[in-house]
Amino acid sequence: MIRRLMPVAVAGAVLAALAFPAPADPPLRTPDGQPDLQGIYTNATVVPLERPANLKGKEFYTEAEAAENAKKVLGISSWERLGSQAEVHYNMSQFGLDLSQVKVALSLRTSMVVGPEGRVPPLTPEAQKRQAERGARNRGHQFDSAENRPLQERCIMFSTEGPPMLPAGYNSNLQIVQGRGYVAIVQELIHSTRIIPTDGSPHLAPGVRQWMGDSRGHWEGDTLVVDTRNFNDKTAFRGSTANLHLVERFTRVDRDTVLYEFTADDPATWVRPWTAQLALAKIEGPILEYACHEGNLGLPHTLNGAREAEKAAEEAKKAPK
Amino acid sequence: MTVFPMRKPSVILAAVAIAGISAAAQTPAYQAPRTADGKPDLNGIWQVLNTANWDIQGHAAAPGPLFQLGAAGAIPPGPGVVEGGELPYLPEAAAKRKENFANRLTLDPEIKCYLPGVPRATYMPFPFQIVQSQKYIVMSYEFASAVRTINMENHKKAPIDSWMGWSNGHWEGDTLVIDVTGLNDQTWFDRAGDFHSDALHVVERYTPRSPDTLNYEATIEDPKVFSRPWKMRMVLYRDVDANAQLLEFKCVEFVEELMYGPLRKKTAK
Repeated sequence: MIRRLMPVAVAGAVLAALAFPAPADPPLRTPDGQPDLQGIYTNATVVPLERPANLKGKEFYTEAEAAENAKKVLGISSWERLGSQAEVHYNMSQFGLDLSQVKVALSLRTSMVVGPEGRVPPLTPEAQKRQAERGARNRGHQFDSAENRPLQERCIMFSTEGPPMLPAGYNSNLQIVQGRGYVAIVQELIHSTRIIPTDGSPHLAPGVRQWMGDSRGHWEGDTLVVDTRNFNDKTAFRGSTANLHLVERFTRVDRDTVLYEFTADDPATWVRPWTAQLALAKIEGPILEYACHEGNLGLPHTLNGAREAEKAAEEAKKAPK
Repeated sequence: MTVFPMRKPSVILAAVAIAGISAAAQTPAYQAPRTADGKPDLNGIWQVLNTANWDIQGHAAAPGPLFQLGAAGAIPPGPGVVEGGELPYLPEAAAKRKENFANRLTLDPEIKCYLPGVPRATYMPFPFQIVQSQKYIVMSYEFASAVRTINMENHKKAPIDSWMGWSNGHWEGDTLVIDVTGLNDQTWFDRAGDFHSDALHVVERYTPRSPDTLNYEATIEDPKVFSRPWKMRMVLYRDVDANAQLLEFKCVEFVEELMYGPLRKKTAK
């Protein structure tokens, strides 16, 4: 894959249009007259969700600063970026999956979270207690069984799958297809499809809860607005509860770019609602199949390793000193 | 009200047979509604009303493999969906099919919540939804969040084998024809152990037959397992319920105890 830099302002459609005038193409429409958001995209980005401390008070880079930051971030190898992972396991450069090897929509934003602080608002005392309890329950039991492992490792949900849909560490690809009365979003990780009705139908009954919630969409001008509720209490987006209410907005800013914005509200979790923005950059594709569970050797090996370690510890205790 | 005299059964059978042949050979009289770009409109939530997922060949009711489930786990009967009734297994493959059946509790990929492959995804007892655009048609299956995207333009070769395969589609009159290749050898056709190899090539045909039904036909070619190509046929029904919606059936969670239970810490809570 060839590295291509795409300068795109994601400070809102208006600013984007001012900073980088969109091509003079007429607005894209589907044959039945809907705004056309279709395409295969990546949401890979050099912009972190939360603003780094050294950029306090600075919501936007200048173009030169943005380019410099991109150069810096793209120069970091995947295993350095992922931190704890050993090079032998996650050498993604070898497979063309390193951030520097995929298309990245550049942004003038210093964080995805919008606003002067650029940080996810503080957790409410209730949420802090919940999170502490959650942590305490699992402490010392992390390797007891599959249920003690993270959802991503169990191939139930990828932590970035959402909604909200955030960049994954690799293969941050998605495809939007519009049919009559529905918008479908296929995410490569992990082969989930969001089918969003735009026919004005009501949400599921409150008793029906899902990992990815229940999404309903409508058009506001050229923007697709998606309202999601009915999450289960196991999804926990950054510690949220089943009452998380999410509103996403998809707006095409030019032929190759869709602005994606979401607002997350959960009074039991954050002291106030918060909003983040990122860009979806068109790529050639295709989206390939990410059969996570089918090839999940990691989970049984992890559990097996823990059982072996316990056995070895038992043996060591029994052995004569 | 006019009362017609009863016809002899043989005459009715002959008439049905002729109707069947002519329906297959000619363009059906029914014309499907069109999408804005003029293609037959297949958008909707579809599901079969048959028992092919238990056994694509004709079968009488039978007890299930787990007696504890009683009637709920028994195998519902069905006349079969295979043209000609019998599957043309090569001798060795026929033996493997028997073995698969005998060991189906440990071998059937459905039990482990693996992606079901094509054509099995079509006739599992779960709905699937078609979201149709000009360039791509998304088929999203409730079971295991399986999905495939049909390339309607820009046909390319399968880049790699996968569970749901690589689908290139085109229109022949009112029929959506999908050529499916790049399927791996890990999926089955049903719970009865009917299987294929990685040489599987499936050609599917979706033909509207009324506003709320589609004829589904799949031609199966796999020279490593079958002595000749064969066909399966069935009808897909639209879910016309006002509340029709594909829900999540993320079954990985439901198979963890089965797959990883033996690795659980013995004294774990």
